[in-house]
Amino acid sequence: MKKLINRNVLESLLFFLVLGLAWEAVVVIFEIKPYLLPRLSDIMVTMWSARSILWDNSLITLVEVLWGFLAAVVLGVTIASLIFFVPLARRTLYPFMIALQSIPKIGLAPLIVVWFGYGLSSKVIMAFLFAFFPIVISTLGGLRGVPAHLEEHFRALGASHWETFWRLRVPSALPNFVDGCKVAMPLAVIGAIVGEFVGSNDGLGNLILLATGSSQTALTFAALIAVTALSLMLFYIIELLGRLVWWRSN
Amino acid sequence: MVAFKLAGQAQAGMVDVKNESESGTAAAAASTAISLRGVCKVFSSDTAEPVPALADISCDIRDSEFVSVIGPSGCGKSTLLRIIAGLIPYEEGEVTIAGNQVHGTMDNVGVVFQTSNLLPWLSVEENLTLGLKVGGRPISADATKAMLETLGLSGFERRYPHELSGGMRHRVAIGQALIRNPGVLLMDEPFGALDALTRDRLNMELLRIWQAERKTVVLITHSISEAVLLSDRVLVLSDRPGRLVEDVAIDLPRPRNPSATREDPRFGDYVVHLSELMGVI
Repeated sequence: MKKLINRNVLESLLFFLVLGLAWEAVVVIFEIKPYLLPRLSDIMVTMWSARSILWDNSLITLVEVLWGFLAAVVLGVTIASLIFFVPLARRTLYPFMIALQSIPKIGLAPLIVVWFGYGLSSKVIMAFLFAFFPIVISTLGGLRGVPAHLEEHFRALGASHWETFWRLRVPSALPNFVDGCKVAMPLAVIGAIVGEFVGSNDGLGNLILLATGSSQTALTFAALIAVTALSLMLFYIIELLGRLVWWRSN
Repeated sequence: MVAFKLAGQAQAGMVDVKNESESGTAAAAASTAISLRGVCKVFSSDTAEPVPALADISCDIRDSEFVSVIGPSGCGKSTLLRIIAGLIPYEEGEVTIAGNQVHGTMDNVGVVFQTSNLLPWLSVEENLTLGLKVGGRPISADATKAMLETLGLSGFERRYPHELSGGMRHRVAIGQALIRNPGVLLMDEPFGALDALTRDRLNMELLRIWQAERKTVVLITHSISEAVLLSDRVLVLSDRPGRLVEDVAIDLPRPRNPSATREDPRFGDYVVHLSELMGVI
C-alpha cells in the first residue's frame, strides 16, 4: 500500500508541530507579555484578521522585488558578457564591479531614498543592487567555464564566433546562471525590505516597522511570515524554471 | 624524396635510415592528400622555457590512405594532428591538404577528438548534425537516417549523451565528423578510453566506413596493435621533440578483421618491429 505522506515529511511536520506547541507553552507558562512575544495562535489569528493588509503590502513588495530582480538579470547578463568578450571592459568594468560589491549596500539605502524618493523606484533599485552581483559573477563563471576541448571542437567544426556563443557558450553557462538566480532572488527580497525600512509608505518592510512601532508584535510576526513565504515562493519558482536547464547535473 | 630523420634517442642504433618508402616515391602530387614539409612546432609562453614539440616532420599521405601515428606519450602526436587540422599554428615548414596550404580549419577536414565532445543538451540526432548546422550547411533527413544506421544507432535519435554508453558516444562523435563528408578524417586517440571489445568493434566499423567511402584517415593512437591492424602505413614519432623515426608500410591483406589479421605471422612481426622502435621492448 502506498503511503499518502512519507516518513520524512511526517517527521518534519511533527518537528514543526512540537516547536509550535513549545512556543505556545513557553508564552503561557512564563506569562510573557504579548508585545514581547505573542502566542503563536495569536499570530495565526492576526494573519487572518489582517489578511487584506498583508496581501496588499505583499503585492507591493513583490512588484519591487520582481522589477529589481529582472533589472539585475538583464543588466547582470549584459555586463558579464561585456566583461567576458571585451578586454577593455575586463580591465575597467570588472574592478569597478568588485569595488561596488565591497560597499555595504545597506549603507547606500538612505542615499538611494534621497535620490529616488519614497516610491517604487528606490525599492526596485535596492532589490537590484542586492541581486545584481551574484548574477554577474555566476554568469561570468559560466561563460568562462566552457571546457576548452569543446571550444576547440567548435573551431574544428568551423563554427563562427556567433555560432559558438549561441550553441556552446549560452547553454553551457545556463546552469551557472540559474545558480546565480537562486542566490540573487532571496537577496532581492532583502534589498526591497531594506529599502522599505529606510523610507517608504507601504510594503511588508514598512508594515514591520509600523507594527513594531505601535507594539502590535503579532502583526510584526505576521508580516515576517509573509516575507518569508514570499521569498520561499520566489525561490521555488526559480528552482522550477531551473529544471528546464536539465543538463546541469549531467 | 623525403629524407627521414633519425631520432637522437637510445634506440637510434637499432634503426636503419630509410631513404625510400612508399610515400617518398609518391611523385604524383594529385594523389597526395596531406603533405608535411619540415614542420616544426615550439610551445612558448611568457613564464616558462619554450618547449620544442615537433622537429622537422616531413611526409606525404596519399588520397584514401589509412595512416596511423604512434609514439611515446608527450611526443607531439596530438600536436601534429592539430596542426594538420589547422587548429594551432606552426613555426616552420609547410602543411598542405589537397594542395592548399593549411592556415586555419578547412571544410574538407573532419576531426574526431579523444573525448567524444558531445553536447549534453543535444540529442544524438542534434549532436550528429551539429557540424552541418554550425557550418550553415543543409541537413538532409535521409543522410542523417543513413548515418545513424551506419553507426548502429538507429532508434537512439532522441536519446541524450548521458543515456549512451561510452562506445555509442564515440560512434556519435565519429558520425558527427563523417556526416560533413570530409575527404580527410583526422582522429586523435578516439578509442583510447574504451574497453578492448568495444574498441575492436569500433575499429572494424571504422575500417568498413573507410573502405566504403575511401577517405584519407590519419589516426593518432598509443596502441601499436591497433595501428598495425588498421593502417596502410604507421608513422613512428620519437620522444619530445617529436621526430619521424620511421615510416612503416603495413603489408597485410584487406579486408582485415581483429582475429584473422592478428593471426597473420606478419602482424606479429610488425608489432615487434614497432615496439622495438618505440623502445617498449
